[in-house]
Amino acid sequence: MAEVGQQHPIKVYFLVWGLLFVFSIASYMVDYFEFKEHLRWFLIVVFMLLKAGFIVAVFMHMKWERPTLITAILVPPLVLLVLMYLLAFEADYAWASRIVYFGGEVDPIPLPPPTHAAVPH
Amino acid sequence: MAEAAQTNQGPLTTIVDDWSSDVTTFKAVPWGKAMMWIFLLSDTFIFTSFLVSYMAVRMTQTDAWPYPSEVFSLEAFGTPVPLLLIAIMTFILITSSGTMAMAVNMGYRKRKVAVFWLMFATAMLGASFVGMQAFEWTKLITGEGVKAWQNPMGAPQFGSFFFMITGFHGLHVSAGVAYLLIVAIRVLRGKYDNTSFEIVEITGLYWHFVDLVWVFIFAFFYLW
Amino acid sequence: MATAEIPYQETAPLHHPKTWIGKYVFSQDHKVIAVQYGITAIAVGLVALFLSDLMRIQIAYPEFMDWFVEDYYYQAITMHGMIMVIYLLTAFLLGAFGNFTVPLMCGARDMVFPFVNMLSYWVYLISVIILLLGYIPGLGGPTGAGWTLYPPQTITEGTPGADWGIMTMLASLAVFIVAFTMGGLNYITTILQARTRGMSLMRMPLTVWGIFVATFLGLLAFPALFVSAIMMILDLKIGTSFFMPAIVSMGQTLAHDGGQPLLFQHLFWFFGHPEVYIVALPAFGVVSDLISVHARKNIFGYRLMVWALVFIGILSFIVWAHHMFVAGMHPYFGFFFATTTLIIAVPTAIKVYNWVLTLWKANIKLTVPMLYALSFVLTFIMGGITGLFLGNVIIDVPLSDTYFVVAHFHMVMGVSPILAIFGGIYHWYPKLTGRMLNDTIGKWHFWITFLGTYIIYFPMHYLGFIGVPRRYYENFDSSFYPASAQLLNEVITWTALFVGVAQLLYIGNLVHSYFYGKPAGDNPWGANSLEWCTPDTPPSHGNWGDKLPTVHRWAYDYSVPGSDKDFIPQTVPQGQSS
Ligand code: HEM
Ligand SMILES: [Cu+2]
Repeated sequence: MAEVGQQHPIKVYFLVWGLLFVFSIASYMVDYFEFKEHLRWFLIVVFMLLKAGFIVAVFMHMKWERPTLITAILVPPLVLLVLMYLLAFEADYAWASRIVYFGGEVDPIPLPPPTHAAVPH
Repeated sequence: MAEAAQTNQGPLTTIVDDWSSDVTTFKAVPWGKAMMWIFLLSDTFIFTSFLVSYMAVRMTQTDAWPYPSEVFSLEAFGTPVPLLLIAIMTFILITSSGTMAMAVNMGYRKRKVAVFWLMFATAMLGASFVGMQAFEWTKLITGEGVKAWQNPMGAPQFGSFFFMITGFHGLHVSAGVAYLLIVAIRVLRGKYDNTSFEIVEITGLYWHFVDLVWVFIFAFFYLW
Repeated sequence: MATAEIPYQETAPLHHPKTWIGKYVFSQDHKVIAVQYGITAIAVGLVALFLSDLMRIQIAYPEFMDWFVEDYYYQAITMHGMIMVIYLLTAFLLGAFGNFTVPLMCGARDMVFPFVNMLSYWVYLISVIILLLGYIPGLGGPTGAGWTLYPPQTITEGTPGADWGIMTMLASLAVFIVAFTMGGLNYITTILQARTRGMSLMRMPLTVWGIFVATFLGLLAFPALFVSAIMMILDLKIGTSFFMPAIVSMGQTLAHDGGQPLLFQHLFWFFGHPEVYIVALPAFGVVSDLISVHARKNIFGYRLMVWALVFIGILSFIVWAHHMFVAGMHPYFGFFFATTTLIIAVPTAIKVYNWVLTLWKANIKLTVPMLYALSFVLTFIMGGITGLFLGNVIIDVPLSDTYFVVAHFHMVMGVSPILAIFGGIYHWYPKLTGRMLNDTIGKWHFWITFLGTYIIYFPMHYLGFIGVPRRYYENFDSSFYPASAQLLNEVITWTALFVGVAQLLYIGNLVHSYFYGKPAGDNPWGANSLEWCTPDTPPSHGNWGDKLPTVHRWAYDYSVPGSDKDFIPQTVPQGQSS
């Protein structure tokens, strides 16, 4: 009879533990060095997904589960992407119409992030 | 046997086999674990709904959105370090995930005392996370004047979403701390001696999920 | 393939209570919980029925009830809608039918976590009580925002119940979702992990399939409602602006700014459309089984029926914005959602064809449950077809917010699932109590309800076409209404009152037969699925006595040529016939 529980060499856990720190520091650096725009987004999302992936795969043992459980848990959230895409798409439109109709009273362009040095504290 | 079944057939065949078999669909998955996974799936939809709402409202904002890395900076050695506290909190949560993973591992070796202390450590790390969150909230409320309904630095939704999402996550962490402590004490008292220690793994699933959510909050709230 | 890597797990140790309270009040037995769910749901359902009759009187005879002011009307319409959809239909189909059928039909001793299952009922009861607290006198009454609860109007002054009533409503919904989650996790886990030997998913009766897919939808859809309820409560009580834009209400600028009202609609319907299938799919399942049993023939295209359920379930997550065509959206999105909506009609139509083909040349027994099942198919076709109208953007825009929509969703989601519930109760009552219901009363109730609902809802399509708006308190000062509209409204109202009162027949039947009904025996309908194979009727705690049943075949071996009886229960080995 195969092992019921999830038992794996401790080494893997330490490895992932370390990796999570590395990715966290990396995404922190993205902010610290003030990457902008697409590059920033790209890096943030990549590091986020890497972290999430390792947590799910190793800490939550997804990697060692049978594909049945893996697909049953990971596939359904995909419908959320439709919601996200739709809301993001419509948001641009709502934003634009707010500018058009209330434009006089508000800042038409969101402020660019100020640099740290300029921040009075 | 499970291994053997996997090596000589592709994943698709395994999936079809499992879904068409009798008794259990998720082979070798105890009831509690299956239930926890499905619960987490449902919880994923809750957190995603929060985050997607945040995205929708933020993207339509015409008022200025404060720059989080500066709002959440902390004085260290006389200079403001951006996101210092958040960085510490992130590291704490990751560490707690690590101790939790070790607890699960020890559980399957039936090392009760080790399980207890590791879970206890996890709970303490979790509690300190909540403590720091409380500190962060206080700083934001009293220091910067950000309330759930107002924000001197621009769009009020900044505060609304911040308090709502981190608050909901904080509730999850707090519930997790209680859950961990209960299970840890039961383990120590020998409640699970005659059964397998799968309950530790189930608790672990929940705890890692809480960490997982934080990964997304960190990326979308603090780094956007 | 061999099945057990884990030792075969019969059940968690069952908790056998000694006291009466332990057995019948705080019971962990799925059958008792089912009955508790059922009774509570019917009780609130009667409240909703009463409210609807008040509204009908108001519509036909605006002068008749002086005390029934606008606010009362809006409150009635809101409470009616919400109670019917959530607290009656969802709770009954999943809470009552789900609890009763899932362990019995899968061959389990109980739900996997009976204690959580019990909590589910009590939390549900709390949610019902919170909901009804809205009616505490002196606090402004329940909310009158309509069951869709759209902000900003829901929480701005002038809407009835804008401070107290909406609070009870949202709180109650949140609590309901907690209750549902506890129950739902149990149903899913039981179906996936605790079936008996030989019970593969493709041997499960369609009732269980319907409940399974519906519960899954619930677990993924309710979160969106939960989140929007929390955000709305915060908008209301703390003064955040998630959904509230800058707004001038009654001459005053409100303290809100920058929120997104449309976001609420998206979240609501991201929940709301799956919700309609949460109600429809269990009804599909129940009806499939009723038709097959009472027509003594196997269900036509079983596999297709299962895949249709699954496919409908998946699709129902990507059609939600068809409820928002009038709210405006990018034309491509309108196109997308209209397309997905119309695609759903395909699996739905497959189901209808299969029901009809099951009946084709079958040995149809016009028992009372069969009558309900047949009428379900008819009303469902009716409502499904009007759904196709509404799924097209350009047809929807003028028809939206008219009585046409009211007709559509009452046919498809109001009347049909209720008919399925009636049929299901009638079918399983003998197993639950050991006695038959009274057929004469049953037939009277059936014909009154079936014909009555047609008289009520069919003319509403016409009313919609001539432009009668929905949710209006008073219509007939407007000159463009033809006289026919007023006449129809009166007919509808009288019928509605009559049908409403006639429901007492059914309830009376349930009570009367409990004491005086004919003894039913173990298997009065000659049905195959496992619940009819229990050693005791009513099944005792733990369902199966000493030994779990073993399943050898699907649940639809009726009228198999060459067998001595016209049914072969699932427990009979292949090659034998009884
Ligand atoms: C062929 C299948 C269906 C199609 C194409 C369809 C289409 C639609 C559309 C387009 C609307 C929006 C009408 C409007 O507000 O302007 C609608 C409303 C509605 N539908 Fe369906 N539908 C279908 C099946 C169902 C089913 C099976 C149910 C429930 C069991 C259902 C329940 C409802 C409800 C409750 C509403 C009204 C919601 C409200 O505004 O209060 N529909 N349907
Ligand atoms: Cu819909």
